[in-house]
Amino acid sequence: MVPSADPAATHLAPLAFTVPIIVACLLLALGRRLPRWAVDGLATTTAAAVAGIDVLLLMAARDGRVVTWAGGWTPVDGTTVGIALVADPLGVGAALIAAILMLCALVFSWRYFDSAEAHLHALMLLFLAGMTGFVLTGDLFNMFVFFELMGAVAYALTGFKIEDPTSVHGALSFGVVNSLGAYLTLCGIGILYARTGELGLAQLAVALRGNPPEALLVTAFVLVLTGWLVKAAMVPFHFWTADAEAVAPTPVCLLFSGIMVALGVYGTFRVYHVVFAPVLPAPGVQCLFLVFGAVTAVVGAVMCFAQRHLKRLLAYSTIAHVGLFLLAFGTLDAAGTEGGALYVAGHAGIKSALFLMSGVILNRYGSVDEIDLHGRGRHAVLLPWLMPLAGLALAGLPPFGLGMGKAVAEEAVATAGGWWAVAVFVLVSAATGGAVIRAALRIYRGTGRAPEASPPGTEETSGTDEEAEVSGLLQRVPLTMLVPIVVLLLGALALGVVPGVSEAFHAAASRFTDGAGYVARTLGAPAPLPAPTAPSGWTLSGVALSLLSSAMALAFALAALHHDRLPATLRAAARPVAPVLRGVRALHSGHVGDYVAWLFVGVAVLGAFLAAGAL
Amino acid sequence: MSRPARLVLFLVAAAGVAALLVVAFLDLPPFGSPFHPYRDRAVAAAVAHATANVVGSVTFDQRGLDTLVEETILLGSVAGAAALLRPSKEERENTTVPEGGRVLEATKLTGYLLLPVTLLVGIDVVVHGHLTPGGGFQGGVLLGTAVHLLYLTGHYRALDRVRPLPVFDSGEALGAAAFAALGIAGIIAAGAFLGNILPFGTFGELLSAGTVPVFNIAVGVEVASGVIVLLAKFLEQALRVQREAVS
Repeated sequence: MVPSADPAATHLAPLAFTVPIIVACLLLALGRRLPRWAVDGLATTTAAAVAGIDVLLLMAARDGRVVTWAGGWTPVDGTTVGIALVADPLGVGAALIAAILMLCALVFSWRYFDSAEAHLHALMLLFLAGMTGFVLTGDLFNMFVFFELMGAVAYALTGFKIEDPTSVHGALSFGVVNSLGAYLTLCGIGILYARTGELGLAQLAVALRGNPPEALLVTAFVLVLTGWLVKAAMVPFHFWTADAEAVAPTPVCLLFSGIMVALGVYGTFRVYHVVFAPVLPAPGVQCLFLVFGAVTAVVGAVMCFAQRHLKRLLAYSTIAHVGLFLLAFGTLDAAGTEGGALYVAGHAGIKSALFLMSGVILNRYGSVDEIDLHGRGRHAVLLPWLMPLAGLALAGLPPFGLGMGKAVAEEAVATAGGWWAVAVFVLVSAATGGAVIRAALRIYRGTGRAPEASPPGTEETSGTDEEAEVSGLLQRVPLTMLVPIVVLLLGALALGVVPGVSEAFHAAASRFTDGAGYVARTLGAPAPLPAPTAPSGWTLSGVALSLLSSAMALAFALAALHHDRLPATLRAAARPVAPVLRGVRALHSGHVGDYVAWLFVGVAVLGAFLAAGAL
Repeated sequence: MSRPARLVLFLVAAAGVAALLVVAFLDLPPFGSPFHPYRDRAVAAAVAHATANVVGSVTFDQRGLDTLVEETILLGSVAGAAALLRPSKEERENTTVPEGGRVLEATKLTGYLLLPVTLLVGIDVVVHGHLTPGGGFQGGVLLGTAVHLLYLTGHYRALDRVRPLPVFDSGEALGAAAFAALGIAGIIAAGAFLGNILPFGTFGELLSAGTVPVFNIAVGVEVASGVIVLLAKFLEQALRVQREAVS
């Protein structure tokens, strides 16, 4: 295929992250002199403009990839000193999701009381720039700097509610664990550079071509992945997630759960497909992600169901879904990647809407504790319907896009890993959806027994101490908070019903898994098209499994709400679960030293696992 | 986890990670080997753009995109620190600052003597970043610290007078914006984002290396202002802000 003939399209990728950087600078320089509406307007317009640039770039990259050489350092005879931006449909799609979520988050925060002289808005725009650059760059070290930009502003955004000491604690855990992951990634990049003298993904792939799978490659792969997988919240790197998302402002949580963790998954598989696919045997890598994905999914789902703090519940549900993303992308083929990407997109809509609902609940009732809020929302109008609906959609209810992604992914993992992976998909979706439905029914319908005073010294974290984010509690939900919720849910619905979505995602996934084509196109060689495969979309078995997990979610929720009315045999059967749950809960201690120890355990186990498969 | 349990877990895992690193290092090219493909290309590219300091050419010309993001990280970190250090509801800012204790005359003298010297060295390091080791980042840090010699001489008030914070707040943001805007100017003038659009000049002269010195100055302004703002926020938090007694 000939390189893209339209030179204007090559300027879109750098603009997508430079525009928010420049506006953030203006907000920082002028913020204290601008009225609040101007700050809101400028930031929101910028996010919309970035989304527009992403749409144009997506159209340009539709039939391949748009390559931009920063500084004009186009390769001569396949070598160069410069950095390439390589926009392929999956990467640009991720950037577009980030921009749309940022738009929703900024609209939601119009009513946010304290923006600290526009610092909140400037940091949000820098965060968007970091996420956008991370998915558009085609250079490993450049990925790392964008990753660090994402991290640096994310720590500050997490701790933004400075009145609350737990918010500083959450930000600190996040900062320590993520920075440590980033250092290990940098070590991995250093090892690869020392070996090859290259930093570009495509150039690295060329330099390593024909290399036997040796120890250096295993170590470098594991180290580079560590930073990305910490961001992705894979077990056992996930401990920071719930601590950070419990305390971060609602609009920030939306971005963390909706897209940031998925970008960790993106980085992992981008680096694998372009650089390591030809040199590390696929079965070992597949097996690695099947195992770690399943463990992540189960731990996340169990912890999610055991929460009463609404934001922690949603954070653990995100961890569970990251496990499912890893299972889907871990098949390493186009079908699994298509399912995973659809699942990420659908999840972004649903999970973000749920986080905004938790924000509405916090600002309306001054708490995010499910037990404490029992029946408090009885007189609410729209959310008593939207929240259980979002819970069902989280479990995979057709025709939401998340359900379609789940269906496609299930079929792909069944081919790659057997029936048990499908069972993990169904059970984990049902548990996370069930937890949301349980909370919704308790808060908005007063289902289940009214709360008694909880015994002192319980190990559960309640959500009664969270500070509201508006001045004074809201009497009614303002439109600026309601519209983003509805838009996000409708977007997730559209993904599942608009014709052609599955085909577009399949084409994007075929490009993403075609590492050889990426390398050739980046370095200016003609790239052979990958052999076309059929997109999957909704299938009968997929719809059936999604209906099953939705029904199970409802059953889980009702069983949890009416557990005192369950038959005695069922309750006796559930009794041995309690100590296991206590054990898993005790591991999530909130002690950052524990988190660091687990991080090292994770790196060592990943290394041992991969070495056993590759060497 | 108890303290000993955590320590044992960490040590066992760290031993595993160390083993991974050791086996990887054994596969690396030996120390001092002539295998340096990027160096060979980078030196040639730097000379082609009349940039005497090859490191400056790599950071501001060949891999300028990395530097754009890195200085944005600095901008974000300073803005983030400022947001986290803002006085909270329970805190109030004193308008008057307690004068520090007695400072040795020798310290004062050294401070006053070193202030102009440090400022000059800072400017020198920024301006010659494309010729000799140094550049915007290094020179900017020097400039930022120079101002704080006033604080070391015991005059927080004097420091307060010579650094109007809003000016440096804006200076930092505008330095960063200038870098990004130069990137876009590259698209307009040369058709390449962050392209080197100015005449390269004569190798080794002050006016050479095209845009590299301009980038250096933008970064120098940003880093100097950033360091001043960052230190000011910490000093304010330590000296001015008082926590109101909880009733």
